[in-house]
Amino acid sequence: MNHSKKKFTPWLYHLPAFILIGVIVLFPILYTGYISLTNMNLYHWQDYTLVGADNYVRALGKIDSGFLTALWNTVVWTVVNMVLDVGIAYILAVGLNVEGLRARRLYKTLIIFPWAMPAYVSILAWRVGMYNTEFGLLNKVLVALGFEKVDFLSRNIPAFLSCMVLNLWMSLPYMIVMFDGALQSIDRSMYESAVLDGAGAWQRNVYITIPSLRRVMAPVVIMTTFTTFKQFDIVYLLTMQKGSVSGSTLQTIITYAHQNAFVSNNYGLSSAVSVVIFVLIIIFSMWTNRAVKSEGGLV
Amino acid sequence: MKNKPGAWSLKRRVRLVCLNLFYICICFLALVPILYVLLLSVSGGGGALKTGLSILPEKFTLDNYRRIIVEEPFLRWLMNSVALSVGTMVVAMGTSVLSAYAFSRFRFAGKQASMQMLLLLNAFPQILSMFAIFRLFRLMNLLDSHAGLIFVYAGSMCIFSIWNMKGYFDSIPIEIEEASRIDGAGNLQLIVRIILPLARPAIIVTAVMVLIFVWNEYLFATTFMLKEESYTLAGGLYQLQANDYSRSWPLFSAAAILVSVPILIIFFCFQKYMVSGLTAGGVKG
Repeated sequence: MNHSKKKFTPWLYHLPAFILIGVIVLFPILYTGYISLTNMNLYHWQDYTLVGADNYVRALGKIDSGFLTALWNTVVWTVVNMVLDVGIAYILAVGLNVEGLRARRLYKTLIIFPWAMPAYVSILAWRVGMYNTEFGLLNKVLVALGFEKVDFLSRNIPAFLSCMVLNLWMSLPYMIVMFDGALQSIDRSMYESAVLDGAGAWQRNVYITIPSLRRVMAPVVIMTTFTTFKQFDIVYLLTMQKGSVSGSTLQTIITYAHQNAFVSNNYGLSSAVSVVIFVLIIIFSMWTNRAVKSEGGLV
Repeated sequence: MKNKPGAWSLKRRVRLVCLNLFYICICFLALVPILYVLLLSVSGGGGALKTGLSILPEKFTLDNYRRIIVEEPFLRWLMNSVALSVGTMVVAMGTSVLSAYAFSRFRFAGKQASMQMLLLLNAFPQILSMFAIFRLFRLMNLLDSHAGLIFVYAGSMCIFSIWNMKGYFDSIPIEIEEASRIDGAGNLQLIVRIILPLARPAIIVTAVMVLIFVWNEYLFATTFMLKEESYTLAGGLYQLQANDYSRSWPLFSAAAILVSVPILIIFFCFQKYMVSGLTAGGVKG
């Protein structure tokens, strides 16, 4: 009696949370998997039928379905953003730690603001306040300098770059703060002995700073890579809001899934794409887990 | 390296001045969009339409703030946001504290497996199952209801909260509990009297993060709430800029400032914990 009671106690504690997660998280995922096997769309809202792997074939097999293009865009987006994010944050954090920079705390506090702002407020503010052709600050500056106005969001490549600049503006503060914290954990005496050995600034960076940062920063970089890969808000709010599509046809995989569900009402296709994305994320996270573990020390 | 001390310090001083100028530019870049919105919000309605580049508003006015509060249902949106945030916090914390405690204190078959399972579920971007939730909610008549949205938010923050608090519970020595168990405290009594007070920092930080998440969420709020009177602040702001924005852009800028200020205050109060909380929650395990 007592023994079996003890066996069930943990599950009793888990029960409320697991019911909630089961209903709100797990079941919709399974249901998405089920929808992906049907031809559910606007015309087949109730009387849909199972169509097997048709949606998957359409998403992965046909170039003109747009999914493979979106996947390619997402990979380019993630790589470009991460390289710039890590590179710029590293340089800025190292600069902040130069000896004698008295106002460092003030700079850090000010730099953090974009991180603290609600993301959707920042994106909407950038959409009208920065990129808009009539009210946007960037266009006002361009006009004041005697250039033509630029419609930043109407064509794919300028739209991609605009989204990228905004993404960097929003994500750099976090990266800088993390790099800054990691830099301060490096043992100062290593630099002192390196200077005695005649190492220059560049050599100190390459042989001391970067290797010491790798272990601390790996989880942060991996986490940010996932958020960048899954980024939806920036592309959606800047270029494809309902009723004010900006003209660019830039899609990432997440906006592609969202558009197919809520704009073109291809629920089956959208769900198939969602399942594919989920599988990609699982593979990617298993791969990074293994990579981090084989690097050693990080648990 | 072997220069005279005076020359060396001059070179160094020049370098520091350059570095300071560089960081002033960086801070300026970081703040320009925010300052521009702030500036528009306190200048008259015509400020946004002017093509010229004026640094300061011609006249300082709080008219946009008055209009957003009086003429738009801003207070209504605020009430909805507060109700949703608090409701989500209660549901999410109520369920996840118990679960986090159980993960931290009990040994049971399937513990590792279920923790891994939770991480896996958390990796699924919730936008992707939004249609499935939407369809289910429509069948169950939960669209346009705050209760429905609270459960969506609570469900998506529950896993994060469990992981975040489990780490902290692990760091509370188990001896304290054993001592009070000998004194005859029951399990629930133990949690309420001993564990919750000890874990207060972690619980507060997690609760604040849940609050911020709900406050900042716009996609579910605009998709699931169909009537204007049930909009949250996020939904309301979204509508403001989605409508004719030549008219409402100054209003939007005032609303944007009003919505951001509480978040900025909370963020800077909890900044230290945000950094550690983020890493602890996302990385450990």
